[in-house]
Amino acid sequence: MGTKKLKTKDPHIKALARLVSGPNGILYHKEDLIAYDCDGFTLHKHLPKAVVFPKDTDEVAGLVKYCSDHGLPFLARGAGTGLSGGAIPINGEVIISLVRMKKLLSVDLENRRAVVQPGFVNLKLTNSISDKGYYYAPDPSSQYCCTIGGNVAENAGGAHCLKYGVTTNHILGLEVVLPGGDIIEIGHNGIPDVPGYDLLGLLTGSEGTLGIVTKITVRILKSPEAKQTVLAYFDRVEDGSQAVSDIISKGIVPAALEMMDKIAIEGVEAAAFPVGHPKDIEALLLIEVDGISAGIDEQIHQILEVCRTRNVREVKVAQDELERGRWWANRKTGFGAMGAISPDYLVQDGVIPRSRLPEVLKKINGISEKYGLRIANIFHAGDGNLHPLVLFDARIKGETDKALKAGSECLKACADAGGSITGEHGVGIEKKEEMRFVFNDDEIIAQSNIREVFNSHNLLNAGKLFPSPGRCVEIKRELKAQQEAVGS
Amino acid sequence: MSVKELTKTPPCSDTSLSNYLWSDKPDENKWADCVHCGMCLESCPTYELTGQEQHSPRGRVHLIKSVAEGKLEVNEQFMDPVYACLDCRACTTACPADVDVGGLIEEARGQIRQAMPLKGWKGMISKTFLEGLFPHPNRLNTLGGMLKFYQKSGVQTLVRKTGLINVMPKHLVEMEAIMPEIKQSVRKKYKNEEIIKAKGETKHEVSMLTGCVMDVMFGEINDATINVLTRNGNDVVIPKNQTCCGALHVHSGDREMGRKLAKQNIEAFKDSEKVIVNAAGCGCMMKDYPELFHEDPEWRAKAEEFSDKVDDISKYLYDTGYEKPKAEVNTRITYHDACHLAHGQGVREEPRDLLLNIPGVEMVHMTDSDRCCGSAGIYNITNPEMAGAVLESKMQNVPDDVEMISMGNPGCMLQMAMGVQKYGKNQRVVHTVQLLDWAYQKENQQKEGE
Repeated sequence: MGTKKLKTKDPHIKALARLVSGPNGILYHKEDLIAYDCDGFTLHKHLPKAVVFPKDTDEVAGLVKYCSDHGLPFLARGAGTGLSGGAIPINGEVIISLVRMKKLLSVDLENRRAVVQPGFVNLKLTNSISDKGYYYAPDPSSQYCCTIGGNVAENAGGAHCLKYGVTTNHILGLEVVLPGGDIIEIGHNGIPDVPGYDLLGLLTGSEGTLGIVTKITVRILKSPEAKQTVLAYFDRVEDGSQAVSDIISKGIVPAALEMMDKIAIEGVEAAAFPVGHPKDIEALLLIEVDGISAGIDEQIHQILEVCRTRNVREVKVAQDELERGRWWANRKTGFGAMGAISPDYLVQDGVIPRSRLPEVLKKINGISEKYGLRIANIFHAGDGNLHPLVLFDARIKGETDKALKAGSECLKACADAGGSITGEHGVGIEKKEEMRFVFNDDEIIAQSNIREVFNSHNLLNAGKLFPSPGRCVEIKRELKAQQEAVGS
Repeated sequence: MSVKELTKTPPCSDTSLSNYLWSDKPDENKWADCVHCGMCLESCPTYELTGQEQHSPRGRVHLIKSVAEGKLEVNEQFMDPVYACLDCRACTTACPADVDVGGLIEEARGQIRQAMPLKGWKGMISKTFLEGLFPHPNRLNTLGGMLKFYQKSGVQTLVRKTGLINVMPKHLVEMEAIMPEIKQSVRKKYKNEEIIKAKGETKHEVSMLTGCVMDVMFGEINDATINVLTRNGNDVVIPKNQTCCGALHVHSGDREMGRKLAKQNIEAFKDSEKVIVNAAGCGCMMKDYPELFHEDPEWRAKAEEFSDKVDDISKYLYDTGYEKPKAEVNTRITYHDACHLAHGQGVREEPRDLLLNIPGVEMVHMTDSDRCCGSAGIYNITNPEMAGAVLESKMQNVPDDVEMISMGNPGCMLQMAMGVQKYGKNQRVVHTVQLLDWAYQKENQQKEGE
């Protein structure tokens, strides 16, 4: 692992290499770069110009300044587990990998906050403080390996966000390298109601288009005193869906309320963490309640009652932590598990009003039939965040296109049901055209204008999040022409 | 042109885009399972150390696939990430879709080795050990004898004192320092016995793989294994024609030699009902024999039948039942999961059960106990720098207040012993069956004393 000698004549590579101090701080051979040609979204691939591994904020700032001064497109990358292509270098970017900035800088239990570097892995935070009775709430399914920096960029959600909120509700302060190389601090570490614009809210979920986060102050929570988990099998999706609504209308706020449909169950059962779910059920619910011990049993009792009223075939409470762990491992590896029943998958990320689930699932079934592709559904049912997983085989000519179209139609179905096109995975390159399902041109332009304030040369992660401005303007012009034609 | 030379020529009939030019190609069904989710990243020791995705499981799978798609060629740059893999299989435990990353890596190494035969000192080491030594029990015994002579005759002292040791590369010096004291090989000891009879009533008959490193360097562990087996009603057979399991050859990319050795072992153990292995690396390899024959249905079927018979000693004792020792062995220990036991064979609880059933043994949890120690076959010889870094993080997790570190693999034992020496710790490194055997011995002594 001693640093290898540079073998290149490219002056940019040489200059970038001088700006990072760690061993083998730059990759530029095709064989190495190819590992970075996509992230968790694999339908678009492009080689970066180089990948650099800074060790601290100053090195990030130096790299950003160099790229900015020399007109080199660049972007930040964490573990590369994003599902919308936010870290794919579609313009041949210099990738600034933040994975070597992976320290837990400080923990302040008294004020319930911790400071981490962006490459620090989500689950490691909870693991580092759990013995003291604390944890970090946002728990995307990829929490075993995704970084908190990436969570900030995507405003990541997770199974337990129903009760505790998504990443943005847990971010108290950020250190950011702006696209010109300046370093700013925002959020003032959690002092409530800071005057001025809410930059913290703006940066969180900006998908790496406004700046590169180099230090993050997060909120940590006291671990709940008690926790109970219920698993319920339903013969009809309608019953499962109605049970979800009933539980919420009883005033219970579960920590998590997850649903999987038949094909999703087939996938997780064929994969590495099977639980033994029956193969012939249409839906299962995984319901978790937590909080102070008093009252948990009563909530569980009510949940069991609801399930029985809604014709549950079988319902059970996890007997111990081991069983609970098995149920969650089965659920949380659900996406990757699709590999066991399909060579490729495309995961979508729609949001719908809970009550519309049976109707939207019907539409998705129709889409599945139309394209001849199987679609599995994993659903954060409590907050209406639906993940249709379109299964396909990229080796079959034309099937990737079909999958993309089917995915897009699923999102249309969600938007038409009064929902949205993304709940937690971000827009990236995957859903930028679908932004039109939920925003009109003026709304898109208003947002693109904000990007221009921060990222005026559009070198940082360009071509993501919004339909390209050129096209936007063209469409606007066309619309205007049409209106004028109608008017005359 | 000899047959050997002929096989060195890639067939030109292949019209696909693939840049794998030799037979026994990486199997596309294996990478079709990978959806690039990244759940493997944190499990991988080389990714943890470098932060670089070409050194991660999904990165390696992506690279291997890219060669098949014609995007990359088999060259030095491709070789680096493929050979930097420790073969620890932690990614197979982490992977939600059960992608056989280990199998793909080994198939890719097979292609690399054929396209670019080893040169330099790595080539020399590989030739000396893998081709010239491990498959030859007699030469191994001779080496064992020489090592014994080296230790007993005073040459060891002389080498150490005169500073002659300082001319050896650093990592070899570190290895020399922890070389176990050479005891007698069981193959030699029992060379005239067909069956080593059970003590008391015979319940089962099992065959035993004696291993190469195990039998020469750790003869006493093989002895202990025979003791606990016979103690628990097993007749033990040591088939004479058995050979090296081939793990080190396959890890290094010599799959042809791997297949040759596999066939010899399948034949040697064909009359056995059960094949007991006390080296996790060998057990894992033998359970993986079917993969070696993925293009040969006939031998694949034989290999499958064979691999079903293979069991780690701890799993076998756990499954068939064993007598709990009555004597106390008062000690605080911790347990290290050998990769090829935990990730490779899913054996985690069984050895712990054995240890916890020894009266007086107190077990202290080791954080990340199933993280690789860096031994990884001969990885610690070929990639000393990476192996050293992996060992350093392993040693940080060894609890300070234990007297022994128990495990089920000789490679790990050498590496961990080196770690203990290097980081100034003082734990004794033992094999799980040794502890059990000691407890039985103590019980016997107490009985005799009564």
